Amino acid sequence: MKKLIIFLGSVIVLGIVLNFALNSYIQAIVISFMINAIMALSLNVITGLADQFSLGHAGLMAVGAYTSAILSKEVFADHWYLIPVTVLCAGLTAAIVGYLISLPSFKLKGDYLAIVTLGMAEIVRVLLLNWNHVGGPRGYNGIIKFPEFSYAYIFVVTLLSLVFVACYRLKYSWFGRNLWALNEDDIAAEVMGLDLTKTKRQAFVISSFMAGLGGGIYSHHLGYISPNSFSFLVSTQILIMAVLGGLGSMSGSVIAALILTILPEALRSLPTGSLDIRMIVFPIILIAMMILRPQGIFGRSELINFCKEKKWIKS
Amino acid sequence: MSLLDSNKTVMNDSLMMDVKNLSIQFGGLKAVDEVSFSIRKNEIFGLIGPNGAGKTTVFNMLSGFYQADSGEILFANQNITSLKPHAVNKLGAARTFQNIRLFKGLTVLENVVVAMQQKHEHMWHDSLLKTEKFHKLEKELVEKSIDLLKIFNLDQFKNDQADSLPYGSQRKLEIVRALATGPQLLMLDEPAAGMNLSEKAALKDLIHFIKNKFNLTILLIEHDMKLVMNICDRIAVLHRGKKIAEGIPADIKTLPVVIEAYLGKKVI
Repeated sequence: MKKLIIFLGSVIVLGIVLNFALNSYIQAIVISFMINAIMALSLNVITGLADQFSLGHAGLMAVGAYTSAILSKEVFADHWYLIPVTVLCAGLTAAIVGYLISLPSFKLKGDYLAIVTLGMAEIVRVLLLNWNHVGGPRGYNGIIKFPEFSYAYIFVVTLLSLVFVACYRLKYSWFGRNLWALNEDDIAAEVMGLDLTKTKRQAFVISSFMAGLGGGIYSHHLGYISPNSFSFLVSTQILIMAVLGGLGSMSGSVIAALILTILPEALRSLPTGSLDIRMIVFPIILIAMMILRPQGIFGRSELINFCKEKKWIKS
Repeated sequence: MSLLDSNKTVMNDSLMMDVKNLSIQFGGLKAVDEVSFSIRKNEIFGLIGPNGAGKTTVFNMLSGFYQADSGEILFANQNITSLKPHAVNKLGAARTFQNIRLFKGLTVLENVVVAMQQKHEHMWHDSLLKTEKFHKLEKELVEKSIDLLKIFNLDQFKNDQADSLPYGSQRKLEIVRALATGPQLLMLDEPAAGMNLSEKAALKDLIHFIKNKFNLTILLIEHDMKLVMNICDRIAVLHRGKKIAEGIPADIKTLPVVIEAYLGKKVI
């Protein structure tokens, strides 16, 4: 209860500061950080806990983004207060797509999911490129946004908290244990009576659902989406966040999303001249982190365990 | 040949596992050829044979990893020939591996809990909302697992990572984990592999102990003849994918076909 009050208090204070003291540039960065965090968390469920590589989360994000955009524009007549509903629908649609992908890919062992999801993301992108009704390559324009930053902030914070708590609780439940067991040794897990196909499928559907939510918010955050906003680079970026934070660490994903959202923006102020130093510094920082801490910031552990270990807080 | 047919008269109800004309082929190689045997309830049944005889292949078919080309496997009067490994386990047949397969990164306790929880119904909303039921079930799983570990004196290591245990204890933990799934039949794949004499003696006691304590039937694959002869009630001998003998240890020991399979033909 105490933790909840502290959390709510800091969220409200941060919201007030953002709303009144800081400009819209910072506000936009905060929202994109939270979207990135949702995406990293969603990938962490399937790649971190179940060790199934997905290289197509941008595709699922695109499904979510377009679903939410089309729904609010065509069906709900651009009412901003219906955004939560369309975002939820975005999650559900992505979950259905995820389920369809999981049908063939989990019958095989190994890294086939990476190939299938990679292909799926490309198929989604090319389909959207050729779908004239939603703008094709020109992109889909004029998607309804929240009228005020504070509404957007409240909605996205709530969603991120829900996603985070869900991931965290799943990790420390029977389901997380099952995933971790099949991650460690799938043959032994199967002999213990664990249905591998079903378990991996469940994890992927959950992950897809969350990715769809992230995509849904993304479309309402920017107000404009195009097929190229969901290229392979985006999938890689999500993967980098999940890996940097530590595969299997939920708080790590959020922190990595924070770092990787702020870092490129902070590097913008570097003296550039004819050379874009930003694009050199950013990868160097990533490489350095990977050499110094290959298991990610927290490894499999969580922020709270890390603090306990360092005796920063009482256990 | 009379030994081969000795089990035909046994009533079906007293059979734990009945294997009929099991065959599997890998490319041109008939790894297992028309093998039949039956395991009675509450006995320790040994499956022996020289290297490459097909013992582990039979084992993998029984536990669902390989699909037999032909033949039938009945477990407690249910046909399990085409079932997947997890379904076979759900029916009550647990196995261990020749090369230990623990969940290495998990703690000793978690290893057992993972196995234990497969028999329980879990609800999504319980774990997402952390309901009372969730806490109750978690507590029950942990308590039961610790009780099981206590029986085997492994509870002192419960928070250690599984692969930090000494070799003998890892074997023991793998057996404990198999027991946690609540089996009727325990299939042990070369449990004495890599053990020294005193560890083997302890293993022999352990197998007898678990058989009586949990009222189990045990199927044992083993290289170590001394252990097999000491421990098993009945034995089947495989050679080049075929069963060449079946019977009690005393008879098997003296059977010319078995000696020939292990040592080769006598040349005068």
